[in-house]
Amino acid sequence: MTATQQIAPGAPVRVAIDIGGTFTDLQILDESTGVCLAHKVASVPADPSAGLIDGLRQASERFGFGFDQVSMLIHGTTIATNAVLERTLPRGALLTTRGFEDVLEIGRHMRHDIYASRAEPRGLLIPRSRRFGVDERMRADGGAERPVKADEIPALCDRLAALEIETVAIVCLNAHVNDAHERRVAELVHHALPDLPLSLSSEVSPEFREFERTSTTVLNALLMPVVSTYIRRLEDGLRELGLGAPIYLMQSNGGVATPEMAARQPARLLLSGPSGGAKAAEILADRLASPDLVAVDMGGTSYDVSLIQGGRARLVNEGNVDGLPVRLPMVEMRTIGAGGGSLAMVDDAGGLTVGPRSAGAEPGPACYGRGGTRPTVTDANCLLGRIDGEHFLGGAMRLESTAAGPAIDRHVGQPLGLSSEAAADGILRIAVAHMASAIRLSLFEKGLDPKDFALASFGGAGGLHACDTADELGIATVVFPRDPGTLSAWGMLWADVTHDLAKAALMPADDGADARLGGDLAALRAQGQARLDGDGIAPADRQLRLDLELRYPGQAYEIAVPLTESGGVAAAVAAFHDRHEAQYSHADRQTTPEIVNIRLTAIGVLPKPGRAELEGAAAAPAAPGHRRVYLDDAWRQAPVYPRHDLTADGVLAGPLIVEDPHSTILIPAGWSLRLAAGGEIIASRAAAQAARESAQ
Amino acid sequence: MTEPNPELDPIEIEIIRNALVSAAEEMSVTIWRTSRSSVVREILDYSTSVFDADGRSVAQAARMPVHLNSMAACLEDLIAHHLPLEDWHEGDIVITNDPYSGGQHLPDILTFKPVFADGQRIAIAGVLVHHLDVGGGAAGSYYANATEIHQEGFRIPPLKIDEAGWRNQAVIKLLLANSREPANVGGDFASQLAALEIGVRGLQAIARRYGIAKLAAAGRAIQDRSEAAMRQLIAGAPDGTYRFEDFVDDDGIEPGKPLRIAVALTVSGDDLHVDLAGSSGQAAGPVNCTFNMTRSAVICGVLMALGGGIPANAGCYRPIAIAAPEGSVVNARYPAPVANRMAVGHRVVNAVMGAFAAALPGTVPAAYYGVSYAYALNAQNADGSRQVYFDLECGGWGAHPQADGANGFSCGFHNIANSPIEMIEATYPVTFMAYRLIPDSGGRGQYRGGLGLAREFRLDAPSGSFAANLDRFRIPPYGLDGGEPGRGGRLTLRRAGEEKEEALPSKVAGLQLGQGDILRLETSGGGGFGPPEARDRAASAHDRAEGYVSGPDDGGGASSSCSRARA
Repeated sequence: MTATQQIAPGAPVRVAIDIGGTFTDLQILDESTGVCLAHKVASVPADPSAGLIDGLRQASERFGFGFDQVSMLIHGTTIATNAVLERTLPRGALLTTRGFEDVLEIGRHMRHDIYASRAEPRGLLIPRSRRFGVDERMRADGGAERPVKADEIPALCDRLAALEIETVAIVCLNAHVNDAHERRVAELVHHALPDLPLSLSSEVSPEFREFERTSTTVLNALLMPVVSTYIRRLEDGLRELGLGAPIYLMQSNGGVATPEMAARQPARLLLSGPSGGAKAAEILADRLASPDLVAVDMGGTSYDVSLIQGGRARLVNEGNVDGLPVRLPMVEMRTIGAGGGSLAMVDDAGGLTVGPRSAGAEPGPACYGRGGTRPTVTDANCLLGRIDGEHFLGGAMRLESTAAGPAIDRHVGQPLGLSSEAAADGILRIAVAHMASAIRLSLFEKGLDPKDFALASFGGAGGLHACDTADELGIATVVFPRDPGTLSAWGMLWADVTHDLAKAALMPADDGADARLGGDLAALRAQGQARLDGDGIAPADRQLRLDLELRYPGQAYEIAVPLTESGGVAAAVAAFHDRHEAQYSHADRQTTPEIVNIRLTAIGVLPKPGRAELEGAAAAPAAPGHRRVYLDDAWRQAPVYPRHDLTADGVLAGPLIVEDPHSTILIPAGWSLRLAAGGEIIASRAAAQAARESAQ
Repeated sequence: MTEPNPELDPIEIEIIRNALVSAAEEMSVTIWRTSRSSVVREILDYSTSVFDADGRSVAQAARMPVHLNSMAACLEDLIAHHLPLEDWHEGDIVITNDPYSGGQHLPDILTFKPVFADGQRIAIAGVLVHHLDVGGGAAGSYYANATEIHQEGFRIPPLKIDEAGWRNQAVIKLLLANSREPANVGGDFASQLAALEIGVRGLQAIARRYGIAKLAAAGRAIQDRSEAAMRQLIAGAPDGTYRFEDFVDDDGIEPGKPLRIAVALTVSGDDLHVDLAGSSGQAAGPVNCTFNMTRSAVICGVLMALGGGIPANAGCYRPIAIAAPEGSVVNARYPAPVANRMAVGHRVVNAVMGAFAAALPGTVPAAYYGVSYAYALNAQNADGSRQVYFDLECGGWGAHPQADGANGFSCGFHNIANSPIEMIEATYPVTFMAYRLIPDSGGRGQYRGGLGLAREFRLDAPSGSFAANLDRFRIPPYGLDGGEPGRGGRLTLRRAGEEKEEALPSKVAGLQLGQGDILRLETSGGGGFGPPEARDRAASAHDRAEGYVSGPDDGGGASSSCSRARA
């Protein structure tokens, strides 16, 4: 490859840093040219901010920029998620309405494994002995049934102090309707224990359903000390480097937050992992003028499916971490256990299964040569020549191809009486069938048809199976973005400051609703503006979007529709009937729906530099290499192109292989390949093939 | 049947199996997406299934075992006794809800549609939906005072609602005219029929892609694999006959008269025989099970005891033979009422698991709470309108031989979720006083049973009436290996302005309430496992520190008969 690209001297650079378990990924954007450069360093799990500083130093030397050139730093971190998964959390207490102290423990009491005779373990974050009832009761209509019994609070605070409580969650029943009691309790506790961090459910997740709200608020409380400490350490480290640019943290809603906001509402960092990828998929959808995309990410153990519809990533209002509900907006994702490390096995009755169990990173697939003896999807790819064992992960790792054969023969081929090739091919076909089913169901449950979507393949293991999966679904276009290894960081470069605010407003969506909503809307807008004031966002860069969540009376779930100034509630109601019809196949247009929540998305648009086009197209691609690959039931010599040798003009017909430093892409027969202006590979199914598929 | 066995490798079998499960899932998603009532969409009280050309189940969408295992039995009954396979033609849809023709209770309407390709029947798609109201003596068709099935709603004998593609709208009109909720039931029924159509299309696509012969061969292989896996699990238990008995408190019509559920489990090699001889005669009240309901409960108990990781289909059922005396509470004869069949159904699960505890010591947990704690409050508002608040609760899970039972944890047999209090209060004239665990309600033992739950609420409307279908008040969930039983459930009423609590029976119909009256339901805890003296001291100390057990530390658990929970 040519000499390392450099940042233009003195040019402002924007840096995105995504810290994962193994690697810390950096994307450096030269704001003067639009060129993006990628860098990867090993993560430092004991002190993630040290890995980040390391990466910054290396990138600055490699690409030639000074820290004073950095205009903005956007950071995705799993610090919050890891603290929950590993239970490295401070000692917290829960103050809640008396009589309801066990709501956190009872949960929704449904089970996940229908037949398990031993109960599933529950992730109980605050034990019963640290959950305290407060004598107060707010009614569902917002009136007080019983006021806060203030004279009990000092004794309670003494107990909190004696128990050495480090953080407190305050959740009163119906606080999403009226937060007065929560505020009163917080005021009294703050008065007695001014240094104790407090999380109020009415601030963290002001929505009905007491268990989900309590769980979210408790998570927030326990993360406040964790995230504050992390941010302080990070800011100190960056200051030492001489980097004074604003810092933003990636949230689960696809937007970013200031460090101050992240420290106050750290639950919003939970499940932020998919946000960078979703942002990247949105940008791809925009650049390729392909607004409806299924984005799939195949890693070592899992296969994640998310949707871009109309150019926007689909959000959901709830997710969970380790089984604990988090009631906050986040990027929607369906995950199944299908990855490179998924184990293939023959059960006692002679059936072949692939996944969801995985060999993990240790010992990993047999061909990793780390002691694994069970065959995996990666072993099947290795045996069939689809990945180059000599240059796995761009040469970062050498695979012991000879270990794959015996593992497959012993555990799959011999029990089933199949040749090595047939067994390996079968493992891959089953894996593809599972992946296609996951995508089909993700779309089917929303009334959508795969044929209307393009597939975007992210992740190291996905490139080998993306076209086959598309074939199963009748999808005709597959996109392979540039730099798949640091794609999430790349997506973060384009994120905006995003606040989600909600207000419960249960009322009929009738003619009088506009008038009744007026006060709440004004209050929400003021709250949104205040948040953006705090972020230092100029008025011209602000966008406020309002949504109403509506349902038919008696329904338990809502649909969000935009509330515009011109259309008012009437237009929102019309949109609701339409959406209901599209999603659920029927609408009751004579029925007046009810409003459940108002949602405000307050966006601070961050500047978007121009984008670099692919550098001048060379002539025909260099002559490809070849390797022996088992395709369509026979060994063949398939051409192999290094990805950086591909050029913007010309179309290549499959079967062929593209080697990328971090992944391998297989373009099967019946598919062709071209390069888009941004460097993305676009694979298209030949028309004849498409016709054959759709006839099926 | 003798069909040529086409060449089919194990990979194709797995891929076709995946496709069949997807077809069942797509039917399931269609119902979720298009149904109207919240009962169907939120509580997910429906199931979908795919059967082979002969009506034997090959794939299901995982929902509730109580449905799944019974749909297959119902279809077998239909084919054997009502509508032989040669009468199933292209474009037909067969419907029934009749417990005496293979169903379980009247709100569950079952529909089946044969799938044809190249003029040949290749499969049958099936959908079961629990409908909001099918008439009868009480809203929701749960009439606790029923003494014959005709008081429980309309019966649909097995008939063709569609014949060669022509839909009999007159039958639909007749059914809807007999429901209190015609709009909801009509909407849900339309979605049920639409789901069948999705299933038919999915199955036809599979047949086109892989061929009819391969589809059939894959179906047989899938069933054979499940049968082999099931036989292997059964063979893991030593040969012999294992007996167990458990009891339902009463049927609500004859209070104080317990109903016996007797199970004799015989393992011989890899065959299992479950005989319920010795169970009580059928009850006057609506707690009876038809044979198919009993079958579902037995299979659920077997899978919970043996481990249920096997793909559920006709193959799993083959090694299990079930016998239940006719005219008993586990094989009721017409016209016995059956609406609250879950009372006996849960007890059959408890008894089957109890018998397995003897066959496979050290693997089976003590009894779980053992009843769907179902109640309904019919509130009359000041403006004359009525609202029915219906809810379901669970209790404590039984202690496992190596672990405490979970507090307030649903059994997979019905797998229910609770309703958020804030949602109930925003919708109904009800205010909750408490929702909490009940200390000391878990059975003592080396491993403690899970705690039951207390749910206490007040009626805020001027008046109302209350009905409940509860159990496990008098005969608590059993302990095992020296573990003590969990504490039984109870229901109390405190009239507005009074201090005194009045104990109510487990089955209540038409109890009149006034504004401010407070009801408190306490559900049963799970049974304990192993002698209480053997409990680890640290575990005992933890129980007290966390308030799961009250009273001074005596080195063991607290007495299971100790007084009411205090905050």
